[in-house]
Amino acid sequence: MLATTRTAFLQRTRWQRLRSLTMISVSASMVTATLLLTLGLFALLFISAMEWIFWIGEGGSADVASRLRDIALARPGLESSVIGLVPAIVGTVALVMLMTLFVAPLGVATALYLSEYARDTWYTQLIRISITNLAGVPAVIYGVFGLGFFVYGLGGQVDQLFFSDRLPSPTFGTPGLLWAALTLALVNLPVVIVAVTEGLDALPEDLRQASAALGATKNETVFYAVLPAAMPSVFTGLILSTARAAGEVAPLMLVGAVKFAPSLPVMTTAPFIGLEQKFMHLGFQLFDAALFSTVPPGGIGWVATIALTLVILIALLNIVAMSLRSVILRRQAVDSPF
Amino acid sequence: MDQQSKNDIALSIRDLSLSYQGNPSALKSISVDIPRHSVTAIIGASGCGKSSLLRCLNRMNDLIDGVQYSGEVLLEEMNVLSAETNVTALRRRVGMVFQRPNPFPKSVFDNVAYGLKLSGVKSQRHREELVEKALRSAALWDEVQYRLDESALQLSQGQQQRLVIARAIALEPDILLLDEPASSLDPISTLRLEELIYELKQTLTIIIVTHNMQQAARVSDFTAFMNQGHLVEFGPTDTIFTRPSMRETEDYITGRYG
Amino acid sequence: MTDQSHQRIHISAQFSRELEGVRDDVLTMGGTVESQITKALDALLDGNSELAEQVIALDSNVNELERSISDQCMRILALRQPAAGDLRLVLAVIKVTTDLERIGDEAAKMGRQAVLLSEIGVQEKIAAQVRDVAVRSITMVKNALDSFARLEVGDALSVILSDDDTDEAYANAREWLLLFAEENPASLRVAMSYLWILKGLERIGDHAANIAEQVIFLTEGVDVRHLDSQNTRDLLS
Ligand SMILES: Nc1ncnc2c1ncn2[C@@H]1O[C@H](COP(=O)(O)OP(=O)(O)OP(=O)(O)O)[C@@H](O)[C@H]1O
Ligand SMILES: [Mg+2]
Repeated sequence: MLATTRTAFLQRTRWQRLRSLTMISVSASMVTATLLLTLGLFALLFISAMEWIFWIGEGGSADVASRLRDIALARPGLESSVIGLVPAIVGTVALVMLMTLFVAPLGVATALYLSEYARDTWYTQLIRISITNLAGVPAVIYGVFGLGFFVYGLGGQVDQLFFSDRLPSPTFGTPGLLWAALTLALVNLPVVIVAVTEGLDALPEDLRQASAALGATKNETVFYAVLPAAMPSVFTGLILSTARAAGEVAPLMLVGAVKFAPSLPVMTTAPFIGLEQKFMHLGFQLFDAALFSTVPPGGIGWVATIALTLVILIALLNIVAMSLRSVILRRQAVDSPF
Repeated sequence: MDQQSKNDIALSIRDLSLSYQGNPSALKSISVDIPRHSVTAIIGASGCGKSSLLRCLNRMNDLIDGVQYSGEVLLEEMNVLSAETNVTALRRRVGMVFQRPNPFPKSVFDNVAYGLKLSGVKSQRHREELVEKALRSAALWDEVQYRLDESALQLSQGQQQRLVIARAIALEPDILLLDEPASSLDPISTLRLEELIYELKQTLTIIIVTHNMQQAARVSDFTAFMNQGHLVEFGPTDTIFTRPSMRETEDYITGRYG
Repeated sequence: MTDQSHQRIHISAQFSRELEGVRDDVLTMGGTVESQITKALDALLDGNSELAEQVIALDSNVNELERSISDQCMRILALRQPAAGDLRLVLAVIKVTTDLERIGDEAAKMGRQAVLLSEIGVQEKIAAQVRDVAVRSITMVKNALDSFARLEVGDALSVILSDDDTDEAYANAREWLLLFAEENPASLRVAMSYLWILKGLERIGDHAANIAEQVIFLTEGVDVRHLDSQNTRDLLS
């Protein structure tokens, strides 16, 4: 009797051990597969890009230096599809920066309102759920909204009010950097709000009590105690949205990204930024190159180059954001989610 | 005589009752005078209203929805519970330290300077002086003087609890409320904290809630025993712990069925 | 008000049992000591040296109990940190056992004197004097132990008050004995022996009064040591 239960027990544990061993090996091989796939992808990108970049010869550049210059700068006419990486990088960075400028205060303010000020009612619950759902709406729909609301709606109004002398040719009433940034800010707003709200909700109630007990008013508590403590999640939200803004293509096609812009949207003299200008964007270039490129040999080299640049740029943007984050948080030493 | 005895009273609680939503009688008509420059311990079973009483004294209960109180709490001539009372000013005069050490995720210095900044100490030099003074009074200066820029969260629990006390006494309050301040500390840190309480009572009036009877007996001059929202007995600690006059008190401190 | 508390059970039943154990041991010790003095008196009055030897032998039991009780008290103080009534019980027990042990010593001394006197033969007249004091002292011990067992303040108080009577009886007996010695110089040794015994009985009465004082401290929380009877009565009312 005792012996049978004993063996049953042993068998069960053996079976369980087998099961967990299987689980471990399956997940380990999946992780390895993912890693290999990523590495392979990068290797492919890297090799094709390099092959293409250093391709010198017939119908191409004379030497490596001029080849690099050709790729970096817009030289229409030389190779009709290669329009230069640098303007696209500049456009992408300008877009991301501007978008962050909009999304950060708006997202943080909304999150603060939702979790610090608003009472917890069915109405605020509904708003929270809606915001979470908005994060799942396809970005191109925001593009349509941006085109209708920002470009034609707001832009048209602005033109009539401030630039009526230039009409009928539109100034702000046409896709441009400002509208693209605002549209992307809308795309990313739910992401930032959700990240920050979650960060705020996770803060211990102790923190607010400690502040109140020291004679802080509600606002002082929110701004001097709560918000600084929630900075990690603010940065998490912004890092997420940066990557998304740099990689997003579909809405940008509607609100301002172009294949070739005659001038950069940033300049060295005031006002330093051309808010109404069309701009070039790496993601859009990639899309364009993949579909319409005729660049030899075989086109894939040019596409790979843009893709590699985009990936590196996003990595760089993240590194910048993260180091900014660690500089600001140096004194807090809270457990980092990264 | 009357004037004299008034000067010896730090806080006078008169007929204080408190109700929460869902708990209509958390405190039932409590009256007690807390003597100045002394340590008063509040003991009693869990849920008897110790924290609720403490939170009345600096109006921390205001943060809870649906709290209602009646009665008076007199801090000198000011009625703490009156609607006209400036609550933030009150909380600077009546500091509070909680059960778990809760430093801000900021540097050691910024933690102590937090209240100072809010109360309008503008000059950085002046702030530095006051922070040092508070850290010294909290018996923490020697341990953190070279770590002022480090995160407060890197300190040990015992150090964090003393930091939190430094943060409160930096504002030079008249009264310091401690709600189970040693419950998450090891025995040595607890003894340090008790020693600190003994030092601090030279300049402040301290009210401490504790579940540790020996601790109450060690640190306090007066003891209040509460049961189910009532103040059962208040008196000098040595009397309460050797010959309490109420049966309930005796049963509680000797650990008998009530 | 608090006098019933020892019957109430601690949440830690083990602690209640420990306190009960100490109390039981004190009562056992009291019983032993009580029988010691009763037997010593009998041995003395009957000239029974065998009984007297028994009294002397019992002393080691009493000493053993004292040691065991003080060990238990020390353990309770260190491990349980008793408060209020429990603390007073432990403190009272420590003092009561000291007094009981002294009473035991006095009884043993009486036993030794009884052995000596048994060889000479009982002097009826002197014995009558001794019996008067002895009965008072033994009654005091008995009552003091009863008041401890039942935590009766009233009984304890009458023990304390009766000490004056015992002292008076002792003084009378002593005077009588001195006169006897002057008249019968040949019996000086015998008289000295009885004087020793009388002194011991008077001390036993004092120890019984001390025990009664501890009972009052234990039940009422007031210290009536070194007060005269009037002050004691005032304090208790
Ligand atoms: N925010 C609240 N809302 C409703 N009831 C509450 C609230 N806070 C406390 N109470 C109730 O009031 C009573 C007293 O609680 P309180 O926290 O003051 O007890 P306590 O003596 O401090 O207990 P503990 O020793 O466990 O900290 C309890 O019955 C509790 O359930
Ligand atoms: Mg509490």
